[in-house]
Amino acid sequence: MSVKLLAFATPEQEMLVDTTARFIEKTLPLAKVRELAESAGNPDTDYVQTASSLGWFGLLVDEAHGGGSASGNGLLDAAAVGAERGAVLQPGPFVGLNVVAHALSADGPRHGALLERLVAGQTRATWVAGTVGGLTPGPGEIVARSDGDGYVVDGEVRLVHDVAGCETLLVSALGPGGPVQVLIGADAAGVEVRALSGLDVTRRVCAVRLRGVQARADAVVGVPGAPTEARLRQQLAVAAVLCAAESAGAMHTEFETALEYAKARIAFGRPIGSFQAIKHLLADTSLSLEMAKGLVAAAAEALGEGRPDGIELAHAAKAFVAERGVELAHACFQVFGGIGYTWEHDHHLFMRRLAADAVAFGSADWHRGRLAEQIGAD
Amino acid sequence: MTDPSTDPSPAGHVDAPPLDDYRARARAWVEANLERAPQTRPARGGDMTPQAVTEARALQRRLYDAGYVGITVARAYGGQGLGPEYERAFHEEARGYRLPDFGIAGGTTFGVVVPTMLAHAAPAFLRRHIPKILAGEELFVEFFSEPDAGSDLAGVRSQAVRDGERWVLSGSKIWSSGAYYADWGMCLARTNWDVPKHRGLTWFAVPIAAKGVTVQRIRQITGDAEFCQEFFDDVELTDDDIIGGVGDGWTVTQTMLIYERGGGFGHGGPARQAPKGIAPDLVELARSVGRLDDPTARDLIARAHVDDVARRALLARLGGRMRAEPGQAMHLASYAKLASGVFDPPRANLAMRIGGSDAVAWDDGDEAGARTANGFLNSRFMSIAGGTNEVQRNGIGERVLGLPREPSFDSGKPFREVLRDARSWTGRPAGG
Ligand SMILES: Cc1cc2nc3c(=O)[nH]c(=O)nc-3n(C[C@H](O)[C@H](O)[C@H](O)COP(=O)(O)OP(=O)(O)OC[C@H]3O[C@@H](n4cnc5c(N)ncnc54)[C@H](O)[C@@H]3O)c2cc1C
Repeated sequence: MSVKLLAFATPEQEMLVDTTARFIEKTLPLAKVRELAESAGNPDTDYVQTASSLGWFGLLVDEAHGGGSASGNGLLDAAAVGAERGAVLQPGPFVGLNVVAHALSADGPRHGALLERLVAGQTRATWVAGTVGGLTPGPGEIVARSDGDGYVVDGEVRLVHDVAGCETLLVSALGPGGPVQVLIGADAAGVEVRALSGLDVTRRVCAVRLRGVQARADAVVGVPGAPTEARLRQQLAVAAVLCAAESAGAMHTEFETALEYAKARIAFGRPIGSFQAIKHLLADTSLSLEMAKGLVAAAAEALGEGRPDGIELAHAAKAFVAERGVELAHACFQVFGGIGYTWEHDHHLFMRRLAADAVAFGSADWHRGRLAEQIGAD
Repeated sequence: MTDPSTDPSPAGHVDAPPLDDYRARARAWVEANLERAPQTRPARGGDMTPQAVTEARALQRRLYDAGYVGITVARAYGGQGLGPEYERAFHEEARGYRLPDFGIAGGTTFGVVVPTMLAHAAPAFLRRHIPKILAGEELFVEFFSEPDAGSDLAGVRSQAVRDGERWVLSGSKIWSSGAYYADWGMCLARTNWDVPKHRGLTWFAVPIAAKGVTVQRIRQITGDAEFCQEFFDDVELTDDDIIGGVGDGWTVTQTMLIYERGGGFGHGGPARQAPKGIAPDLVELARSVGRLDDPTARDLIARAHVDDVARRALLARLGGRMRAEPGQAMHLASYAKLASGVFDPPRANLAMRIGGSDAVAWDDGDEAGARTANGFLNSRFMSIAGGTNEVQRNGIGERVLGLPREPSFDSGKPFREVLRDARSWTGRPAGG
């Protein structure tokens, strides 16, 4: 049951989506996601390595570093993969790892060795964004003080995805001359990772606390100050699009399940889908879903091509999907009735995921705020 | 709305004490016998421990012995036979004191089951059960919904078959809130398959400890296990267990639904009592996440407040309309129910917006952090439980607004045939 995020896919894209969907179905279908959730576990190394061989972590990376896209627009390809992942509520690594790969790739050969290992699934990394990276409200923030030709970083960020199994953290911090990004070893002195309890039981998030952590000059990514500020905007847009793509996938499965139920469930001697109340609710919901898919694909396409409207579309996509995703979960819940209220039924897993994704990498309010800043600016 | 829980005989009021004396005595008793309630109620998960139930029963018993439960219930049934103003007076005096907390089964027993029984059960039944219920010895839950019949309550398939002097009950009920610690279930069963669905139903009181009753707890969306599924494996009942007449179950159901829908505020919604100030729960949330000065958060809180005030006003207005138009009470009650079903979910979404990151992830064991998220997961309680939004809307559309009725495909033919025909639904009326 492919999501078909792309209305038109090239044969190469179709192949990528197809192998992705089959890999997920075979390795980590929903029943196994549930088991993993109950044991608070994470996907194993095999999963990550096979995923890397399918190209999941190299789509935003040039070929010189082992990456490559299916269609020439790696972000669009990655969004299509993200949608398939979201449809089966796959845990990480994906968004965080791709953002790090994207950031390192933009930095040329400086961090080439790490980048190649990330693309090949030999090591994992994630992004510790915090307020500096645009995550609001209230994920905490990190400050970097100059120390020789490097930095000392302090602070705490909550809501970090996919930290488990990571060797490297890309930390965005507020430095003396504007934003700075540094690579920090997950086991470096002063790094404390704390697993949090969360609404989304299929994806565990952590708080990362840094206390006087040293980052040498060679750990810096990009050029601090204005160039990093521009990079961060791009990075956040990429994260927002991929996160929205995963949400669109989750919306797809939740909707399909409710639709099937409306055809099968009998009340008053007829299938409940024959009642206009249910029919119209599902029709409206399918409208949101089609819009979500269209908007995510449009944003991925524009941002991936480097078009000037890319970032603006990414904000719109994330804002739209964050709200409509939660709304869709409510609508489907209503169709399910009592059965949706149980732990046994999968509905709640989707509702939890969609509500948590709505906040990850910027809430709808936050993304609308960025768009509002543009009003009258040109 | 006539309140069937009040004593039907005016004689019951003859020796009623002057209200002021009653109030003074109640206050003295409360002060001497009850503990002050803790300022903030501990957040309760779904779980009622046996110890909590035992404690609640003991406290209920003390109130009963002192004559402060069943204040409006007839003396013949263990009550005091006084008017509703006495009950109000007692509750005003007892405000701020700890009263028995039976969890969800308490609300069901005293809010739905007792008034329905008083309206329909035979005097002998009432003499047997009501005093025990009032004394905290018999807690009742609702055995209404089934795996294959929820909105379509008249479509239940659990059946009671007459066998000489007894009735033999088989089938299954589901979503019965609080059944794991209750004593009895008020159960709707089919007693005749060869008449249209509304006419073949009968209500029974089913002892949960009876042979053949199995109760299984169901883990629900929040992880709690408040509701249950029951399996009836040839449970033996007698005529004495019947509430109302054989085959007259739908009449009883209509009374029951008035009480079921009456609770206008659901889980996570605003308190029924006007709180101090503006949406205090959301203000507290905004403060705890450091957003009290954030204009977006303040606007959201003000919005919630406007709806909260409108909902309280709606309840007050409905109370007045129900008194003026008692015949419409059941249908007007749908507005109260629908208000919760429609307004609870966006209010919970709004809390999630205010909570932001802190509403989706929190330190292990941080109850405050989990509260917003649980409120969100629970926010469709009133949209589904006890009659869905769609069912309320159908009722309002057809019974309050007088819109033409939707054609019915199942209420004219024997229930046996309904089940058969539903499997081959064509969208055409029966026989078409
Ligand atoms: C938390 C909770 C607690 C509960 N506690 C109890 C309890 O203590 N005792 C008890 O007996 N039951 C209880 N229930 C059951 C509850 O009353 C039913 O879930 C409810 O009536 C809906 O029935 P259903 O789940 O079978 O959904 P269905 O009836 O299958 O409905 C599915 C969907 O179809 C729609 N639909 C059905 N008929 C129509 C129609 N004619 N027109 C338009 N739309 C329609 C519904 O609105 C809903 O959206 C509880 C439920 C919940 C969620």
